[in-house]
Amino acid sequence: MFLKVFLRRLFTFLPTILGIATFAFILGHATPGDPAYAALGIDLEGYSGVDQEEVERVRKELGLDKPILIQYVHWIWNALQGDFGRSYVNDYVVMDAVIEALPNTLYLLGLTMLTAIIIGVSIGMISAVFQGTAGDLIARLISIIGVSTPVFWFALILILIFAYNLDWFPIGGVVEEFGPKALVLPVASIALHPAALIARMTRSSMLEVLSHDMIRTATSKGLFRSRIFFVHALRNAINPVITVIGFQTGNLVGGAVAIEVIFTIRGMGELLITAIHDKDILVMQCAILVIGVSFAVINLIVDMIYILIDPRIRL
Amino acid sequence: MKSKIKYQNNANNFNFSSNETWSSFIKSLKLFFSKKLNIFSFSLVIFLIFIAIFAPFLSPHQYDMVNPSNALAPPSLEHLMGTDTTGRDIFSRALHGTTTSLSLALTTIIFGLITGVSLGAIAGYFVGIVDEIIMRIVDVFMSIPGVILALAMVAILGPEPIYLILALSIRRIIQFARVTRGVVLSIKELDYISACHALGMSHLRIIFIHVLPNCIGPIIVLSTVLIGNVILMESTLSFLGLGIQEPTPSWGTMIAKGNEFLTFAPWVSVAPGIFLFTTMIAFNLFGDGIRDHLDPKDKVTT
Repeated sequence: MFLKVFLRRLFTFLPTILGIATFAFILGHATPGDPAYAALGIDLEGYSGVDQEEVERVRKELGLDKPILIQYVHWIWNALQGDFGRSYVNDYVVMDAVIEALPNTLYLLGLTMLTAIIIGVSIGMISAVFQGTAGDLIARLISIIGVSTPVFWFALILILIFAYNLDWFPIGGVVEEFGPKALVLPVASIALHPAALIARMTRSSMLEVLSHDMIRTATSKGLFRSRIFFVHALRNAINPVITVIGFQTGNLVGGAVAIEVIFTIRGMGELLITAIHDKDILVMQCAILVIGVSFAVINLIVDMIYILIDPRIRL
Repeated sequence: MKSKIKYQNNANNFNFSSNETWSSFIKSLKLFFSKKLNIFSFSLVIFLIFIAIFAPFLSPHQYDMVNPSNALAPPSLEHLMGTDTTGRDIFSRALHGTTTSLSLALTTIIFGLITGVSLGAIAGYFVGIVDEIIMRIVDVFMSIPGVILALAMVAILGPEPIYLILALSIRRIIQFARVTRGVVLSIKELDYISACHALGMSHLRIIFIHVLPNCIGPIIVLSTVLIGNVILMESTLSFLGLGIQEPTPSWGTMIAKGNEFLTFAPWVSVAPGIFLFTTMIAFNLFGDGIRDHLDPKDKVTT
């Protein structure tokens, strides 16, 4: 049964991947500037000193003289083999840069999500157990403040307080350079937003589950309150929380871009921003494709976890 | 069944087709403002709009007046939030930033709303191949994180304000399209739509006059919830140097500028951030209130 659902989900997953690849390809061709000139290291297109023969040669070499459809098939085929060419601007193999950057981002985001889930679910549980009008307002305000704080601004405030004034943590976020302490501030900055949302979601779905008959049954059976909360209630309350986690991964990536730039972490976001500023089209294409695909895979995984946890759900 | 309940629910709050439209609207407003938090967030939103409109009259200095001899001056009575690297008054610039942010966000939402609702209505009404194509494209764009998508668009088009609006609205178009499509799908199976067909009405008339008014509730909810989102995304792009460009005042750019001087001039980053934070709080609280009011059961996810 699980396999069947998985295959059906995979069936919609593959066209999405192809769509992202198409978008990345179009992106490369819609970006202003002639790649052949870029490859030669010439900025101005109308520059008079250009050797036209040289440009033609490079154009042929890059396959830019072929019809667009053939270029497209060619690009997809190369992408499938992990070949995105060499960067025109900085002379390195694009895939190598991505392979170096991707683990950093995934590591950062994974740690962030874990932190957000632990903190969010705990706060949500606590506020659900001690319910009341004041608790309701506080839970709501916490989540609003968490969602409203701009990630990049929050990161700067954290740096100001904990790196410059208290000197507890380093300013950079590179683990090799500063040790594991370096990740505390980046993770804290990105985790604020999802933690607030998860806390709120946990609280509201816990409150709903706690009003069910089965909780009364469990209580009348004389079970410990902690057992009721953690085993009976949380298990049923966790579904909407997982949905929020799934939705949040996209927002996380957005926040991570700014955080990587601030803490000079060499991740996908930093790679993408540098590529956009440098007009490095090949790196841009590859980064968008890799981010899009990773994001789609994460969503697929979240969907599958969803089914595993609650067998009632059929996608 | 669920969709029917939702439809009736919205009809209670937004019944534009009945004779008592006005009185039910007033009743709905009264209910909304019976909550203190809603009054607070609404006043804050109005206050921010006031600032956005009257920024030139409210700011003590000209926002682009350069004074290098007074660069990076700390907050004082003369310069409430200090000055930046070229000696410009940060308070005045932050006030003007409100104009930039709000006008950009509003334009983005309106553009996204019109395009998205039309696409969603077409997709939901003419199920089949059109729907399939539109929804596949939507799926693709949904699977690219919002900021990344906007960054890619800005990379192609350049950071002109008009292109920035386009880049920011792509994601909104999709969100509006999805919500509209969902409502249209559930409405068009109802009997009164069949009656419209039997009367020989044109598709356009049925869509715009008889189907779309049912979407007003969810669309209002989505637009208010999304405003904060758009403001945040715009400031993120500006922070990364790919949004609003100098000398136009924008909170994101101002915060980015202060990054280098955080040790000895923290106000350059902190001050505009307070504006941004307050705006986010105002619109998020307001959006939340509207959502709880109009759409208490189904949460429109952002």
